[in-house]
Amino acid sequence: MSEAIDSGQISSRFGQWLDRRIPPGKRITLSQHNVFIFPTRMGFVFGGLIVVLILGAINYQSSLVYGVAFLLGTMLLIGILYTFRNLSGVSLELVGTRAGFVGEDIGFDVRLVRPQGRGREGIQIGWPDGIKQWAELCDQEADTVRMYVKGTRRGWLRPGRLLVETYYPLGLLRAWTWVDLNAAGLVYPKPIFTDIPAGTYGRRDEGELIDPLGSDDFTDLKTYLPGDSVKHIIWRSYARSDELMVKRYASFVEPRLWFDLDQIPGGVEERLGRLTGLALRATRLEREFGLRLDGMEIAPGVGDAHLEQVLRELALYGMA
Amino acid sequence: MVSSESSHSALHQIPRNSLALLMIAQVVVLMPHALHLSPWIVAVGLFCGFWRTRVYQGQWDYPRNWIKALLVVASAVGVALSGSDVFSLEAATSMLLLAFALKLLEMKNRRDAYVVVFLSYFVIATEFLFDQSMAVAAYEFGAMVVVTAAMVGMNQFHTRVRPVASLRLAAGLVAQALPLTVVLFVFFPRVAPLWTVPLPGGGTTGISEQMTPGDIANLTQSDQLAFRVVFDDEVPAYQELYWRGLVYSDFHNGTWSAQKSRFVASPGEPAAAGDAASYQVLMEPTMRDWLYALDRAVPETPGVRRVADYTLRSRDPVMSVFRYEVSSYPGARLDGRGMTRAMEVQATRYPVDDNPRIQAYADELWQRTGDIDGFVRSLLQQISSGDYHYTLKPPILPSENSIDAFWFDTQRGFCTHYAGALVFMLRSVGAPARMVGGYQGGEINPITGHLVVRQYDAHAWVEVWDEGRGWRRVDPTQAVAPARIESGIEAALSAEDRAELAAMTAARLGDWTLVSSLLNWSESLEHRWNLWVIGFDAGSQRGLLEDLLGDITPVRIGLAMLFFGALSLSVAALALFWRRRPTRRHPVERAFRSFGDAAARHGYEREVHESPMVFVERVGHQARVNPAQLQLLIAQLEALLYNPAVAWGSRELKYLRTQLRRLHFRLAFASTQ
Repeated sequence: MSEAIDSGQISSRFGQWLDRRIPPGKRITLSQHNVFIFPTRMGFVFGGLIVVLILGAINYQSSLVYGVAFLLGTMLLIGILYTFRNLSGVSLELVGTRAGFVGEDIGFDVRLVRPQGRGREGIQIGWPDGIKQWAELCDQEADTVRMYVKGTRRGWLRPGRLLVETYYPLGLLRAWTWVDLNAAGLVYPKPIFTDIPAGTYGRRDEGELIDPLGSDDFTDLKTYLPGDSVKHIIWRSYARSDELMVKRYASFVEPRLWFDLDQIPGGVEERLGRLTGLALRATRLEREFGLRLDGMEIAPGVGDAHLEQVLRELALYGMA
Repeated sequence: MVSSESSHSALHQIPRNSLALLMIAQVVVLMPHALHLSPWIVAVGLFCGFWRTRVYQGQWDYPRNWIKALLVVASAVGVALSGSDVFSLEAATSMLLLAFALKLLEMKNRRDAYVVVFLSYFVIATEFLFDQSMAVAAYEFGAMVVVTAAMVGMNQFHTRVRPVASLRLAAGLVAQALPLTVVLFVFFPRVAPLWTVPLPGGGTTGISEQMTPGDIANLTQSDQLAFRVVFDDEVPAYQELYWRGLVYSDFHNGTWSAQKSRFVASPGEPAAAGDAASYQVLMEPTMRDWLYALDRAVPETPGVRRVADYTLRSRDPVMSVFRYEVSSYPGARLDGRGMTRAMEVQATRYPVDDNPRIQAYADELWQRTGDIDGFVRSLLQQISSGDYHYTLKPPILPSENSIDAFWFDTQRGFCTHYAGALVFMLRSVGAPARMVGGYQGGEINPITGHLVVRQYDAHAWVEVWDEGRGWRRVDPTQAVAPARIESGIEAALSAEDRAELAAMTAARLGDWTLVSSLLNWSESLEHRWNLWVIGFDAGSQRGLLEDLLGDITPVRIGLAMLFFGALSLSVAALALFWRRRPTRRHPVERAFRSFGDAAARHGYEREVHESPMVFVERVGHQARVNPAQLQLLIAQLEALLYNPAVAWGSRELKYLRTQLRRLHFRLAFASTQ
């Protein structure tokens, strides 16, 4: 009865037709303009039963068997009205979206409101890639249903049209519709957790002097580690010893961290993942941090709002 | 995707609400079948129901596969051994009911439940092959509601347990489906059977092809309906109501049997002439093909034919209430093309070595009288003046020389005894004679005026060949018990017999008591049911459609069906979608709402998140209302809004409305600046 919704089954031509028929909107009320009705498999079996009964009535010349067949047939017809009535007037609105990371379920809150009066039963909603959920509109006039869709890649997750369906009351007919609530959930890159670098080099006018020598002059040499600035490599010694050495300078270590896409090695997605991890960790440690993505810069800050802003930029990096 | 699977299985489970209804529905649907099926099938049904109930209660487990296999095999063997033909309707119904009962034991998911629901509808329809009375129809209508409620329950939220709500919805649905059902019933074309089907056999009471003297006396114990008759004009006199059914020509070993009937084309036969009585008969199912009619019957319904002995046959056995029209010409002769040699041989044959005493008696009488008329007259005279008695409980007669024993020794008998003795004596002297079985009399329903003939009206009489007049009716019962023919069986019986009959046949209470008027009323209802529902066939459909549409063309029928169908569907739609006027709001809410609408016209729209108080405070500030006054208004609004007892005309409310109106003016003023 309730097969999982086939994902991606809405072909583009059907999609275009749907867009004309049921235009996207923030709040959509179901009516005869946007609800479809068709018999279910059980409905067709029921139809077969009626045909068998009519054959029996003809062969046994029994008026009352005719009567049973006609009554069942009419019930199926009236069932169309009942099934449609169960959806009619219900309005759907997207009231909240919860962001998440790649691989997580992204939550969407859809609020269903029915007109006053008779309760509605057995309404299910769900996205093609998600799980169908029941909406309880029988005793209450409104219900908010949270649905999850798996975030597979970073950026905007647009789950597309939402399936609203009901088999009530007979299960022989299915009334359904696809509504587009313009749902879009933000999917952040999957975090890759690394240690926050002990010191990040900042500009002279910022931060706090921690070097006792009080100069940013050269102090000593150390072997190159990934992450060290290429500018400080001593190429002359490399020519001699096959070992990359970098000069170390005493500097200002600032408590405010700067996470810079350029300073992180790896592919773009991996670097974004590391930055995500760093941002999460810094927030948990309540360290101020800023973010530099190519030309874009987010001033250092701390707290959930700041984190959200950072994650948003990371999620949408490189997307139009 | 663990959550997905668990929610999936929850969707495929049968909600408990629906399961309970399904089990109730099963009992309701099986019950009427218990009356005509072997008790063991009912027992299997109850056993399966009990087992499933234990499973439902969590006490037992579902049966193992081998137990289920054993049950299926045992049921099939049981049906095969139960005696009736494997391809008969009874066997098919038994199998269907057993399958239905056994399906309960493996009903686990929704698909199984749907199978059970569909089988239930089917079982309801099968019951109508056995009984089409109004009471059964009403019962099965209720059964449809219960089955439908079970189906509704399957589509409700699975934790919701509200059987009453499901039942109410199902009842509404079925009731709303009725008008269109009637339209389909009237307009859907009735066609002839497509292929022959096994018919339910046996079990019905009525006249049969073999008759021993005691048979009709047994029929008299039954008040079951035989047929109803609606006369176009007046009902003929009671003593003329001889409903001819079968002609018995062969006598052997104390048993009379009807010969195989041959259909006659009857060319050159003199047309029936004289006054005719036209009527239609609604015959109850007999599973036999002979019909009943008054003399001399001319069938007016296609499919009904007359056979050589002037009785009527239907083309197919009468399976359900059968309606046929007849015109009877009481004055017309029953002799066809005269007496042939073969017919004469048949009508004078008798076992010569049986009943020697009565043969001698008849010979002696024949010597004295010399002609058939006188012979018959003196026999009837003998019966009425001699010590002969009419009784339902005649002494048992030996199988040999039974007529001798009756005529000379016991002298007590029923119509068949007298008719049999008369035919035997006539034949023994060479006069062609035969016995006729059927019904005599009937009862007129005072409400509708139709005639009701019941099994206790069964009767047998004699036909004697008369060269000048053809076959002539002679009823010896009239000689022994004239009251039987003039006013029915009850009058003819002894007090003892009558008391027994009254106990058996409640319908004949005689006087106009409350009970009998109630019975008359229900009989007339049942008659109309038979006339308009059960007996509604291609013929009556044509009649009704002609009355309704004039000319019957497919286009007209289609249009009429469309019109009435749309009409009845829109009645249902109206009932479903009629919006009741919104319930009356709280008076303060109404007052505030009208204020809100007015404010919105001046550009002060209330935000969704704003409570009335917050809204008034905001717009009040914007319109620069005195803060103290504003606070007073807000306090008052809040107090009244949450007081359910505020009346529309109360003083507080009037004050509040004035204040709100004042605020509205301020807003209007502020917005113009």
